[in-house]
Amino acid sequence: MSEVRPHSISIPQNGKDRKILSPFFRRFRGSRAAGLLGMLAVLLLFIFPVIKLILLSFQSDSGFTLAHYRELMHQERFWTTLRNTGTVVAGSTSLSLLLGTVFAWVVAYTDIGRKRMLHLAILLCFILPSYVLTLSWSSLMGPQGWATKLLQWVNPGLAPWSMYSMGGIIFVMGIHHFPLVYMFTLEVFRKIPRDLEWAARAGGSGAFRTFCRITLPLALPGLTAGGLLVFLASLDNFGIPAFLGTPVNISVLSTLIYEEIIGFGPSAFARGACLSVLLGAAAVLGSLIQWMLLRKNHVSDTVQPDFVPRYTLGRFGKAVSAALWIFLLLITVVPLSSMITMSLKRAYGLGLTASNITFDNYRYVLFENPQVWMAIRNSLVLSLVTMLVCLVAGSLFAYLRVRKPSGLNKAVEIAASVPYTLPGIVFALSMILVWMEPIPGWNPGIYGTMSILFIAYICRFLILQIRSGVSAFMQIDSSIEEAARVSGAGIRRRWIAILLPLVLPGLLTGGILVFLTALTELTVSALLYASGSQTIGVTIFSFEQAGDTLYSTALSSLIVALIGAGGAVLLLIHKWTSRPGGQSHEY
Amino acid sequence: MSIELNAVCKSFGSFEAVRSIDLTIGEGEFVAILGPSGCGKTTLLRMLAGFEQPTSGQILIDGRVVAGSGVMMPPEKRRVGMVFQSFALWPHMNVAEHIRFPIRAHKETPAHIKRNERERVEQVLDLAGLAPLASRMPHELSGGQKQRVSIARAIASEPSLLLMDEPLSSLDAMLRMDMRREIQHVHRRTSSSIVYVTHDQGEALAMADRIIVMKDGKIEQAGTPSEVYLHPQTIFVAKFVSKANLVKGRWINNRFIPENSINTSWSGEGAGSSFKLNRIYPVRPDQFLISQESQAGIIGEIVNIQFQGREFQYHIRSGSDHLEVISSLPFRLYDKVTLSLKQQVG
Repeated sequence: MSEVRPHSISIPQNGKDRKILSPFFRRFRGSRAAGLLGMLAVLLLFIFPVIKLILLSFQSDSGFTLAHYRELMHQERFWTTLRNTGTVVAGSTSLSLLLGTVFAWVVAYTDIGRKRMLHLAILLCFILPSYVLTLSWSSLMGPQGWATKLLQWVNPGLAPWSMYSMGGIIFVMGIHHFPLVYMFTLEVFRKIPRDLEWAARAGGSGAFRTFCRITLPLALPGLTAGGLLVFLASLDNFGIPAFLGTPVNISVLSTLIYEEIIGFGPSAFARGACLSVLLGAAAVLGSLIQWMLLRKNHVSDTVQPDFVPRYTLGRFGKAVSAALWIFLLLITVVPLSSMITMSLKRAYGLGLTASNITFDNYRYVLFENPQVWMAIRNSLVLSLVTMLVCLVAGSLFAYLRVRKPSGLNKAVEIAASVPYTLPGIVFALSMILVWMEPIPGWNPGIYGTMSILFIAYICRFLILQIRSGVSAFMQIDSSIEEAARVSGAGIRRRWIAILLPLVLPGLLTGGILVFLTALTELTVSALLYASGSQTIGVTIFSFEQAGDTLYSTALSSLIVALIGAGGAVLLLIHKWTSRPGGQSHEY
Repeated sequence: MSIELNAVCKSFGSFEAVRSIDLTIGEGEFVAILGPSGCGKTTLLRMLAGFEQPTSGQILIDGRVVAGSGVMMPPEKRRVGMVFQSFALWPHMNVAEHIRFPIRAHKETPAHIKRNERERVEQVLDLAGLAPLASRMPHELSGGQKQRVSIARAIASEPSLLLMDEPLSSLDAMLRMDMRREIQHVHRRTSSSIVYVTHDQGEALAMADRIIVMKDGKIEQAGTPSEVYLHPQTIFVAKFVSKANLVKGRWINNRFIPENSINTSWSGEGAGSSFKLNRIYPVRPDQFLISQESQAGIIGEIVNIQFQGREFQYHIRSGSDHLEVISSLPFRLYDKVTLSLKQQVG
């Protein structure tokens, strides 16, 4: 159909246009080369480590072998660990699902008061790093904790149930992850059209029956996806079993891999790689099922969430509200306070009286122990650099992904999500394998320094920034940008005057999320740190392993303060965004 | 300012959105591109703006090639203004800032406008009836006001060409009528050329100097509103623009003899060849004359009546066909009637 035009016509007569446009074409060609280079970098950074890990698990001196796996199968410890992992994951996922669904239903459908505050209080459990939550619970339930004191006051013979047990791990993991189910389900509940429920009620079905027959089945795909998210998070979690399980010889897959690698036996890496492949495969399988479930549920994307309450609690309102708040305070604020008071004690075992209160532990961790100070500095520098790199690279990529969607950048997005989908310990091991000797016989000196932590953090957290960037840019219709173009705005003016003012709050929210996640990171750094590159998480872990509970609680309390500051900044950004003229968010 | 399109084609993958369009738009002309969704009209507009590059062919603005093989002048360098269907207002800027933006951003804004920026902003605010709303933010405006801001922004830097992409389709029916007048007013005051894309034949007929009817990426018919409306050349134009009935029958040279008729033959002077080929004759609902007594004309029976206020809309079954007729004369359901042609006016 399209006939080829004679060549003479295609050359503009006045020649001026060519001069204007030739840089455009040169840049186009340049961007292709950059694209290829980028693909290479993506393969090297995100895909190659996984391949290397899988290869190692099948490798021996004499080529490919299943010997490592066979060896694993013969170990009693492997099977115990597998059973433990299954129990922990199943138990904590069920607990999270139950709590998450109940809270989501109440917040989504009832007229309970102070929803905004309730929402934030629920999220607090997840915002706290898992090891801080663990420490606060072990201090609450420990021999010096408030719970023990209370029970002994009732009856001197009573003692609380030990957190250092399977039950403790399941409980802490369950309350740590239930906000994930909550957030997922909240959206799903709100998108169920209320007329469907009305139709059931009009058809003679009671409120409970309607919930069971209409609401729950409709929410099921969302609930299942939320459950799988928690399943993944439980597989990934290292802090809780490391703090609560290791002292009493309970190991799960993530802690077993850690012990193998730290133990540094003759075939430690190969065994670690085998375990990692198994753990990684479980995680990838979980993500795939979740992805398929969400894809099927794509239709609900077009449904607007409905924020108007559907049920009035009436005279039960106060009671329900009180029950939820007491529960939330009990699982977070009370243990945190217990931990903070612990950190203020002169010595472990003393009561909390005026004469025993001291800031010595803080003075020690902040000023007298150079290691801690270095760890804080390391973590701050690491998370700041990670945030900035992700903010620039992740946001630019998100822009490309939204405005010029292609198979290529979709592939890049999937590749970038691999390090975050893999359990942290698996990802860390793959990083060691790649950067110890990227090319056989050449050690660039990256492993064992801060550099590997920079690379690992950026690779792992980039996807968080990409996702916030994508959702920020998605909210800006392309015609908004086109209007600026026809108004004569070049690329610089378009970004400065139009795009950035509109997307910056969204991008910064992503940046702060990356910053906070990196600041409190434990799993990846636990495997990758070396002397001189400890992070805050690793230092708290070492204190705890050495039995320096007062120091670990003091440092954890500092972390809580830092997170509080970060949260305040986030809230300010949200306030700024929801000012008149900005896009308003419900939360 | 004149715009010339020479054999412009655009395909997306294997889909040919626009197929070899030739078109010239004169200075100050108001051209409406009319067609159903997916006919390529928006693609054509986006090529004029510079958002899409033609696959082949070239576009000239004032004799200068802005798009062709190896040449692509980006939108920010073309002197065009554009009004978007979704308004595309910037949520963080107030009304005056929207108007000021193109004056400052456009490198080719005439010097006299750049020098007197404040006067120009006020002038445009007045022209669009937005003076009292100058410091309002977009979310404080109604739909019609938003569209006026969008138009004001598009004309602020005196572009040589104003592009409008279904500007009224996101407004409600009443507002659409008002906005038609406002767009005509802007056209008279600015005397810039306008290319107006729409799927609403009413808008195109009401405002345009010339209508280009498009279908499947090609021009079906081009002409003044009355030419296109009164003398459709293709079946598609007859149905889409004139909403005509396609009466079946026989052609004998330039005369048409409808089916189910007595003593009737209509003059087919200037009728498109496709009508003759398909043995049909286009008759608009208002072209028919209904009469009760059996005289010359098509025989039929009234099967449905809708009272429209000013007139009645009748559905008349004639043989196996249904014909739509508009008449101010009252008839009853199931009346047997005959239909003849009114005396042609145009």
